[in-house]
Amino acid sequence: MIQEVVKKVQEFFPDLKVSEFMNKSVVWINPGRKLLHVKEIMRIKRISGVPVVDENERVIGIVSLEDIIKALEGDYIEDPVEKWMTKNVITLKPDDDLEKTISLFEKYGYGRFPVVDEDGKLVGIVTKHDILTGLLVKLGTIYLHDARRKEVLENPKFFDRSLITEEVIDKKGADFSFHIDYFDINLAGIGASKLKQFLLEKDIDERIARRVAIATYEAETNVVIHSGSDGYIYCFLRDDQIVVRVEDFGKGIENVEIAMKEGFTTAPDHIREMGFGAGMGLPNMKRYSDKMVIVSEAGKGVVVEMIFFKEGRENETQGSNG
Amino acid sequence: MYLKEIVEKVGGRVLSGESKLDSVMVESAAASDLMSEVLAFAEPSMLLITGLVSPQVVRTAVVVGIPAILIVRHENVPEELVDLAKMNDLILVVTPLSMFETCGRLYMEGLKPVKRGKLS
Repeated sequence: MIQEVVKKVQEFFPDLKVSEFMNKSVVWINPGRKLLHVKEIMRIKRISGVPVVDENERVIGIVSLEDIIKALEGDYIEDPVEKWMTKNVITLKPDDDLEKTISLFEKYGYGRFPVVDEDGKLVGIVTKHDILTGLLVKLGTIYLHDARRKEVLENPKFFDRSLITEEVIDKKGADFSFHIDYFDINLAGIGASKLKQFLLEKDIDERIARRVAIATYEAETNVVIHSGSDGYIYCFLRDDQIVVRVEDFGKGIENVEIAMKEGFTTAPDHIREMGFGAGMGLPNMKRYSDKMVIVSEAGKGVVVEMIFFKEGRENETQGSNG
Repeated sequence: MYLKEIVEKVGGRVLSGESKLDSVMVESAAASDLMSEVLAFAEPSMLLITGLVSPQVVRTAVVVGIPAILIVRHENVPEELVDLAKMNDLILVVTPLSMFETCGRLYMEGLKPVKRGKLS
């Protein structure tokens, strides 16, 4: 499907060159290394193919994820790369255009094509993802429509009533609202920072503002890491309490009870590299809030509702064990 | 301990908040590469020691109210992180020392651990 879209879009960018959308920080391997090393590179770098280059940086082969699976099945993962790599590598040149690139993908069905200069030296790699990213950058806008969103939005059970008090929640009347509309983990926390700033401006005690912000930060991060959709943060200021609701419209949690356990995580490696995904998100939310309810079903999004009492609690800075 | 002394003890390089080194003081520190762990036990007015250089480090500091971040085992950090630290008025220091050596030196100088709560 992506191929069809790209095909239609390519007419608008006849001048787009491979050098503009290729990934320049390409990971390669020497022929003498073991397939086992390729497997580790793929896991750590989250890539599905690695070009093989000789001592002159010239491309002499390529190893794909499929080759690795075969090596694991055939029990020869300890063999050197050169023994099993695909030697007849189809490559692109930096000056090739989008049309040529797409025709290669269609013709060969490979997932990636190394880019080489006139001497055959490796200078980049192109995957479908790179093409798509390049086009989106050109288009200057990303529009994502999640059909599930409307469906879940109309489900009153999750989205219109307080999970804790069951009163109808008027989200339009929220004192603070924030749309978590990004999918980049690097941006997680913007909503929580803004909420903290908002609370401080409203003369909320600094210690309570911090508890709210930390718990919201974890909830926001969860939306970005796990939901695969966008979400909202709402905050309601009441006389004696602060209520925060974080909703998303994504994948949902299959078993909330297990997810609440400290150390349980479904986060992938690259999230853990960012300092999250240690299985402390939900426990942290519970630790810092006075009441917390989480409702979810697989495929139906997640709603977290937390209440923070304005009156002090015994252990102000640390959070209790809930 | 004033940040100025901390920078000296670890041979650090100041990337943001240079003007505040003489005025900002921390009594305790937490060292971790796991931001969720920092969120679980952090105290405001502490020093955050970490080897992580993602924007999450600054966001965590802002949310908790941490005034200064010490990045270990790095010669340099991404510019993006420096900009974010400046934008949020945080002190950002980098040292090539390991986490272990950094913590050892500062502990010897009397920097205290945070009062760690009990994990449930």
